[in-house]
Amino acid sequence: MCGLSSGLYELIIKMLDFVVWLSETKWSIGLRESLYLYPWIESTHVLSICLFFGTLLFVDLRLTGRVFSSLSVAEMNRKVLPLTLFGFLVMFITGLLLFYAIPIRNYQNIFFRVKMLLMIIAGINALFFHKRMSNEAKVWDKDSFIPGSMKSSAITSLVLWSLVIIAGRMIAYNWFDCDRQPQPRWINTLTSCEVDYSLFEGIDGF
Amino acid sequence: MSNLRYIILLLFIFLFNHSVHSHHAFTAEFDANAPINITGKVVKVEWINPHAWVHVEVKQDSKKTIWMVEGGTPNTLIRNGLTKNSVKPGTVINVRGYQSKGKLCLPRCIANGRDITFPDGRKVFMGSSGTGAPRDGSDPRER
Repeated sequence: MCGLSSGLYELIIKMLDFVVWLSETKWSIGLRESLYLYPWIESTHVLSICLFFGTLLFVDLRLTGRVFSSLSVAEMNRKVLPLTLFGFLVMFITGLLLFYAIPIRNYQNIFFRVKMLLMIIAGINALFFHKRMSNEAKVWDKDSFIPGSMKSSAITSLVLWSLVIIAGRMIAYNWFDCDRQPQPRWINTLTSCEVDYSLFEGIDGF
Repeated sequence: MSNLRYIILLLFIFLFNHSVHSHHAFTAEFDANAPINITGKVVKVEWINPHAWVHVEVKQDSKKTIWMVEGGTPNTLIRNGLTKNSVKPGTVINVRGYQSKGKLCLPRCIANGRDITFPDGRKVFMGSSGTGAPRDGSDPRER
């Protein structure tokens, strides 16, 4: 376990070199200094989140078996899921571009890291969820019964994606950024900030 | 009736979302009761989205302090009449604004900029409107 976590930490530090290289590429500089492109990408990101989450709400709530139950699961998915996937695609691409515009700050932002972690968990949940749903939706419709594990998976999905959106919103706040010191050591470890602690000697509460 | 419960749940999500939004950038990070008025030489300009940063070196007695002053987006700044070249390193400027809530200045002091005055007397608003910053008259569009 200890070896795994120190290996992960080394990987995160190594990736910082890549992120620094990324930030020096011409297009990255162009994006972060742009007058129009950055705000357009940012707005598109937010709008595609609305499309993605707004339609996911229908799919997930239907799977709880309590809402929109006059519509079959198969039909709901056929009508709504393509929009969800389209929203996800636009959201993913604009998200990558937003990261690419400001790589170092995003990479070392604590909320960004929390968001990535939540997205991985939400992604695993979605994979499990989607596979089972496409195989069994017709059976559930016929029996008008949805397994309990599917219901909890649907609720997990809603909770996780809500947290992803909240964490994403919080990236804007630079409370724990590397240039805001002093921070507790554990925060600087989580954000992999290199800090000269000798500067803070003698400060109360540190 | 069970639909009602979900509607209430959804309302909660939206209400929470609203409270996050009304938590403006200004009050989250800066202290409206700590106005600053500094004069010094520009040492670095970060002309970046979503906020530009102007680094100003302030000399007091023999002590040098670097102030990192936050401005609006490059787009807002250009509309206000400020370009990357008008605050080139070496330019002497006077900045009014508000200091961050943390005031240790380690390694630099941080502030939210309201306006910049150039040696020739030209004054430019460098913030964004509607951020929740105090209405101190520095934003010409604010009523």
